[in-house]
Amino acid sequence: MTERASFLDLYEDAPCGFMSVCVDGKIVRINHTLTEWLGQSTGSLIGSTFHDLLSVGGRIAYETHIRPLLRMQGHADELSLDLLNSEGERVPFLANATERRGEDGQHISTRFALFKARDRRMYEKSLLAAREVAETESRRARETALLREQFIAVLGHDLRNPLTAIISGTNLIKRRVDLPEREASILDNISKSAWRAEHLIRDVLDFARGKLGEGLVLQRAKNAKLADGLTQVVDEVRTAHPEQEIVTNFTIEGPVNCDGDRIGQLLSNLLSNAVNHGDSARKIIVSANTTAEEFVLHVENFGDPIPEALQQNLFQPFFRGNASDQKKGLGLGLFIVSEIAKAHGGSIAVISDSRVTRFTLCMPR
Amino acid sequence: MIQKRHNINVLGDGPKTMVFAHGYGCDQNMWLPVAKNFQEKYRTVLFDYVGFGQSDLSAYDSERYNSLDAYADDVVAIGKALDLSGAIFVGHSVSAMIGALADSKEPGMFSELIMVGPSPYYLTDDGYNGGFTRAQIDEMLEFLDHNHLGWSQAYAPAIMGNPDRPELGETLTNSFCATDPQVARDFAKVTFLSDCRDALPNVKARTLILQCDQDIIAPENVGQYVHENIAGSTFSWLNAVGHCPNLSAPEEVTAAIRDFL
Repeated sequence: MTERASFLDLYEDAPCGFMSVCVDGKIVRINHTLTEWLGQSTGSLIGSTFHDLLSVGGRIAYETHIRPLLRMQGHADELSLDLLNSEGERVPFLANATERRGEDGQHISTRFALFKARDRRMYEKSLLAAREVAETESRRARETALLREQFIAVLGHDLRNPLTAIISGTNLIKRRVDLPEREASILDNISKSAWRAEHLIRDVLDFARGKLGEGLVLQRAKNAKLADGLTQVVDEVRTAHPEQEIVTNFTIEGPVNCDGDRIGQLLSNLLSNAVNHGDSARKIIVSANTTAEEFVLHVENFGDPIPEALQQNLFQPFFRGNASDQKKGLGLGLFIVSEIAKAHGGSIAVISDSRVTRFTLCMPR
Repeated sequence: MIQKRHNINVLGDGPKTMVFAHGYGCDQNMWLPVAKNFQEKYRTVLFDYVGFGQSDLSAYDSERYNSLDAYADDVVAIGKALDLSGAIFVGHSVSAMIGALADSKEPGMFSELIMVGPSPYYLTDDGYNGGFTRAQIDEMLEFLDHNHLGWSQAYAPAIMGNPDRPELGETLTNSFCATDPQVARDFAKVTFLSDCRDALPNVKARTLILQCDQDIIAPENVGQYVHENIAGSTFSWLNAVGHCPNLSAPEEVTAAIRDFL
């Protein structure tokens, strides 16, 4: 084969399609590979226009995007282009195009190199479809989550009102001195249950609010009466659990910069935990003290230690360990404890062994 | 502020101002070959619509830009910022209609309206032949899904952060027509599905319609329709083929505009 024949052979039977289109859009040259792919004969394509090979949508895209691009930068790369075959079906191609220009920059013709891209296009289409599905699903999931959290917030709020009535009602009846023993013990149980329910609701509400994106909002102030607030929380627990001995030891000097109600809630959750999981025959010790930089709060109880494997997960939401069903809460109490600690720039730690189980809050004051 | 938002470039000087508005697909670069011919005698203004070229992409809002009215409002805002009165508006493709809408919003801002390849409505219905069906427009949208034409999320800040570095365009392949796929889709819908036929009789500016041969986007019958519905308008054939004579035949376009002015 002569060199020229060899080049011609390469042009005609190259593993890609070649096509040249002149300024008025007419196809002036097209190689054998491309005509084969399009199921046409060379003769039928020479002289027809490039537009004839495009679907109408493809023509709009070509006129509004590719042609201006070719004119401006002289080339357009990696185009995803469909050409019509002899049956009028769309054949997907990946194409590069260049403008052949004269010495003074005038447009002489446009050259295309095309690769058949049926599999590639199918892959891209399925990726696009998958992206669309993923977007729809994630939008739906967000909407559902929002509705759920809103529902929880409303439910929690509405459950609180009847509970408040139960709690204040039982407190009023308890004041009677002539109450028979059996009724007094029933009242005690009602109080305990109501108290527990109230705490569960508060935890759920806090959790739902956190999920709604509000997070824990602190109303921080220099709190000079933190010891009073903590004592009040302890008294509430004593009222609900009169059989449980709770010892306090507060040495708080000067004000602590914190949200008093939230620190009270933290203590209340830790105490509730100690009451539920500790040995009720032994006392619970609550101590709080301050240094120049820190405020430290300990809650200690005695009883079976928390297994080491469980200790790491104690502060995860909905973690319920291996407590008996009766004592199981939602598993939000300690999660909220750690959120309150974090919101104050502090931390919560636990040690638990055969001697003592101690939760410690440490935060800058 | 508005300069950055629309990447407004003012070149040349003269008693009259010419505002060149790009059409669907690319950006103000499409007008460069024509605009440079007028810079000796006119103050020329080039700009990008929000979401295109080197405009401030962060100003784009899918909901706001869901009609051509929003684009016309932007043209009016640009005109006000430049204190325009009795200026010349040169609009390619969809910008011809944006110009018509801007003229009825702010009569007198533009005394001349030059429409290159205008079409008030691309679909075909009730006796009007706009040239396309909804399915064909959808096919075009499908092309956009598969061709981001150099658009890359990663490039966007670089382009926006360097509005005064034209050489950047050379390093970013296909960047002239690179548009955020969502913006491209939105604008395609607004462009090809808007019906502006009712706006034509309200045009008060002296209007020139430039028609190309073999323009599949805006065929002759559509150009004639625009001519018949704008009172006193001039219809003129360009010796050019295709939809972008501002690029393929800038000298022809320049001569036709000069004749009219």
